[in-house]
Amino acid sequence: MSGRMTMRSKSYPGAGRGDILLGFVGAFLVYALWESGFFTADAWADFNRRFYQNFVKDDRYMMLVDGLKSTLFMTAGATVIGVIVGLILSVIRVAHKGGLHIPVLNKLAETYITVLRGTPAMVQLLIWNFTIFASARDLNTQYIAILAFGLNSGAYVAEIFRGGIESIDPGQMEAARSLGLTYWSSMKFVILPQALRNVVPMLFNEFIALLKETSIAGYIGIDDLTRAGQNIQALTLEHSQPLVMVAIIYLIMVMLLSNLVKRLEQWLSRGRRG
Amino acid sequence: MNEDMILTVEDLHKTFTLQDGRTLSVLNGITTGIRRGEKIAVIGPSGSGKSTFLRCLNRMEEPTSGTITFKGEDITSPKCDINLVRRKMGMVFQHFYLFPHLTVRKNLTLAPVDQKIMTQEEADVKAQELLARVGLADKIDEWPDRLSGGQKQRVAIARAMAMSPDVLLFDEPTSALDPEMIGEVLDVMKELADSGMTMYLVTHEMGFAHKIADRVLFIDKGIISEEGTPDEVFDRPKQPRTIEFLSKVLRR
Repeated sequence: MSGRMTMRSKSYPGAGRGDILLGFVGAFLVYALWESGFFTADAWADFNRRFYQNFVKDDRYMMLVDGLKSTLFMTAGATVIGVIVGLILSVIRVAHKGGLHIPVLNKLAETYITVLRGTPAMVQLLIWNFTIFASARDLNTQYIAILAFGLNSGAYVAEIFRGGIESIDPGQMEAARSLGLTYWSSMKFVILPQALRNVVPMLFNEFIALLKETSIAGYIGIDDLTRAGQNIQALTLEHSQPLVMVAIIYLIMVMLLSNLVKRLEQWLSRGRRG
Repeated sequence: MNEDMILTVEDLHKTFTLQDGRTLSVLNGITTGIRRGEKIAVIGPSGSGKSTFLRCLNRMEEPTSGTITFKGEDITSPKCDINLVRRKMGMVFQHFYLFPHLTVRKNLTLAPVDQKIMTQEEADVKAQELLARVGLADKIDEWPDRLSGGQKQRVAIARAMAMSPDVLLFDEPTSALDPEMIGEVLDVMKELADSGMTMYLVTHEMGFAHKIADRVLFIDKGIISEEGTPDEVFDRPKQPRTIEFLSKVLRR
């Protein structure tokens, strides 16, 4: 996945539980049909033999399970960093626009966002690993990846939060200030809680985007889900089954999460309003 | 300067810079003041600057020039901590601006507790008293969006009172309300006025202004073009602009 200049958090097609099951079975069937020459007896036997080789023999499916754990660990870590960094960046930018005079901080935040959104995440990951942490070889590479993905995500999350904050009626800030609250207290107790609620679905979408984005972690030697598929390929010299399985696992997770976002949106829109 | 003057305004100017770079001069030299316990109604055509005048008093808008003195302190000075001043100047907005993510109780107690003026327990007691005073004691644990417009505005008044302000600034408090809800809000304001509260009231409710105000300011084109008791301004206006304005609003 290379540089995305636009805001990436778009909504994914929602899916119900039935759709997910259907998607999984369907995708796998289509693949099995094609791979097995439409169930000719010989091809089907071959398909099963290779399936055994790829996933069952020597518990090779555990490679995928461990890879999945790594993928989820990096995604979760990067999301946490992304949300914290994004929150700080967005508050700096909004505060500057809102009359607090912090031109240096604001310029730094703007530059951060421009650079991190304007260069491919892949390149950033390589720079973190091979340049900035080049001499820190005893550091777990997964932490470098979490940092790289998290800081990259922060630039996108900043724009999500900024939109969320700016969607709150300016009267809310005025009312808080009129009671003698400082700008920061007003932000903390009045503006951010409301803004946060508005952006929760978009933050989940960011999480989904990150889940897929961590698939480039293999380039710095992390055995994530994608890399685990490639590792199986290397063992079995099998060209397609492992990667198709990897794709299906990503797809299921994304569909499950999208489903969750959809429910969340429905729940939030039923909730309290101004 | 007069000793009872709680707030004085001298030669207040406010100029807005528009997006295209042009400037709009909204206040063109206002000099006035309010005594402790006095109720002043501010009337005038829309766009006259009356709301801007009110919003300058607690520096919701930064005055371009002029001085505002509150209880002896020049609050337009850079040395003034405006947050401390605002604690003592409550403001009630046209659109209420209750905090929708907080219960009525939290709406009232947030400011005094955050500023360490009261403990949560003390603030709760005060909130209870104030809500009883505006007739909404049973709504203390309600969410704002479960209230009617009139109830919201009564809560907003109670919220402004939670800081025990010396002055209340009302910015068209009934203009966003459905007609059948105006009465309940005016009743609360009347009760406040009778209790001796110092009040600035920007309003289009001429009947109410006549009833509670000690003094009426007619603002037009950013200056006070006429001022006097309600009887003087409403019944015997002298300025042609005042006569024209009143004839338009009172005819309805």
